Amino acid sequence: MTKLQKLKNASFGIIMIITAIVMAIYPRDAYEYVIAFMAMGFLVSGVAKLGYYFTMARYMVGGRLILYSGVVLFDFALITGALVDVPRIYVLLYLAVLHLFSGLVEILRSNEAHGNGGKSWRLKLFHGLVDVVIAIGCIVLARRTNTAVYMYCFGIFYSGVIRIIQAFRKTTFVYIR
Amino acid sequence: MQEDFHYYATYCAAYLAGYSHEESLDICYCAQFVDLCSATFLSKIKAPTKAATTQLQLEMMDTRTDIIGLQDITRIWASFHFLPKDLYATKEKRSKRYMSKYRLICGPNGDLLEKTVRLARGKSLQHAGIAMHVLADTWAHMYFAGTPSLVINNIDRSFYEILEKDGEEYARLIKFRHNPSAPDDIEKGLYTNSIFQINENSIMNLGHGRAGHFPDYSFARYKYMPAWGDYMEVLKDNPSDYEKAFTQMVYALRYLRGDVDSFEKDTYDTAVMDKYGDRIREIIKKRQLSASADWKSFGEELSGEIIEDFDLATYEDEYELIPDDSKNKSFIGKFIEGALQQKGMVTDEISKAGINHAGFVIPIELDLRKSG
Repeated sequence: MTKLQKLKNASFGIIMIITAIVMAIYPRDAYEYVIAFMAMGFLVSGVAKLGYYFTMARYMVGGRLILYSGVVLFDFALITGALVDVPRIYVLLYLAVLHLFSGLVEILRSNEAHGNGGKSWRLKLFHGLVDVVIAIGCIVLARRTNTAVYMYCFGIFYSGVIRIIQAFRKTTFVYIR
Repeated sequence: MQEDFHYYATYCAAYLAGYSHEESLDICYCAQFVDLCSATFLSKIKAPTKAATTQLQLEMMDTRTDIIGLQDITRIWASFHFLPKDLYATKEKRSKRYMSKYRLICGPNGDLLEKTVRLARGKSLQHAGIAMHVLADTWAHMYFAGTPSLVINNIDRSFYEILEKDGEEYARLIKFRHNPSAPDDIEKGLYTNSIFQINENSIMNLGHGRAGHFPDYSFARYKYMPAWGDYMEVLKDNPSDYEKAFTQMVYALRYLRGDVDSFEKDTYDTAVMDKYGDRIREIIKKRQLSASADWKSFGEELSGEIIEDFDLATYEDEYELIPDDSKNKSFIGKFIEGALQQKGMVTDEISKAGINHAGFVIPIELDLRKSG
């Protein structure tokens, strides 16, 4: 990773952490921002997909599929931006299913890692259990209106920390001549 | 390629090149070990994980496909399983981003193959085994790249196996499924492949994952449109390619033994085929999921010795029990040294070609006592 890539990753991670904290402090106003972020996410993905098509996928056999998916993502961005009035319960259910699925997959993978003699099984098991707890939290706390925001903030915070860690990981390969 | 070729056929090639039974066993053990030396295995025996020559499915699932993850993947798969044929290949009207993936497409007789074999000369038998794995895979994995890439490694539905009936050739559409626990069905033409993922860097788009194990079968003859091929069909003739792989291995091993002065591209030990051609072609063309038993029997006929089956645990204890300052004298220690040299050389060449998918390289003395 170049210094610029490291700086970019670390800065993005810090911005994510700050955003998560600010949204968690002001949850009442944050819901609209969550929707705005999701819409922005689709928009960026759509534009990135179109960029990918024009620089790479148009040379590929069947690459037009990428063009269509870029256009669909772009449309999703517009639709999501218009969904400010969706009841929060649906957002929570979405988050619960997502975390429950991720948690179960992670626990199964932890079991597989343990079987292979790998050291990472404890961390996987921990990740899996945290995901399951979050899923349960989403359902149990569904009546609390700010739960969706807190769950979303936790996700952003975690991703921010991971990005910062990634930025400072050793990326050069050391070898013997 | 699979254990049948990397272990048993490599044994035969080494023996025919003039190595003793014991030396041939060491060479073929290491050729096969390349497919099993994962970071998980190395971590289990407290060896440096940076020497990994393969990744388990689980490890790949865990690897983030950000730039660091991609570099880890590419270093391993391009160095040992999908050696790029031409890092300076040209193609008109393509973006730099596209070309950085296109140039990693694997193929035989490239400059890097020459460097791989030459690098192994005067080194350990373990290093020779690694070089033979890399060489053999350049034939089986031709047209695929050792980096995740949808635009290079994807295949579409028009993937046909060429079969023969009553002396007439015909094409049968291959059906792919995504159940990793289901064995390939040669008779019905039913094979397991990776799931189509629209993400360029998805691990599903690594190497020949989209074509499943099919390219690894020596009997396979097939035609398809590679994603990078501008809608042109390519015909892959594995029996012919595997024959070349075998005879090139014999030639390369003769060079490594010192019987031949230089290693040149596109050169094969055809004398071997003059003597054993019928037997070797029969094994290669036989439609079966594994040709291990046939190669083993051929190898045992050649040397008159028993070829032990491959066992991953054979040298584990030796490595773990040997004192830290002597680790590099152990069997696995020598393998690690060879693996790091090969990985370093390929990574360096990719980096020098202006492609950043494998990362940068710093040459330094190896300290096997430090893991990680």
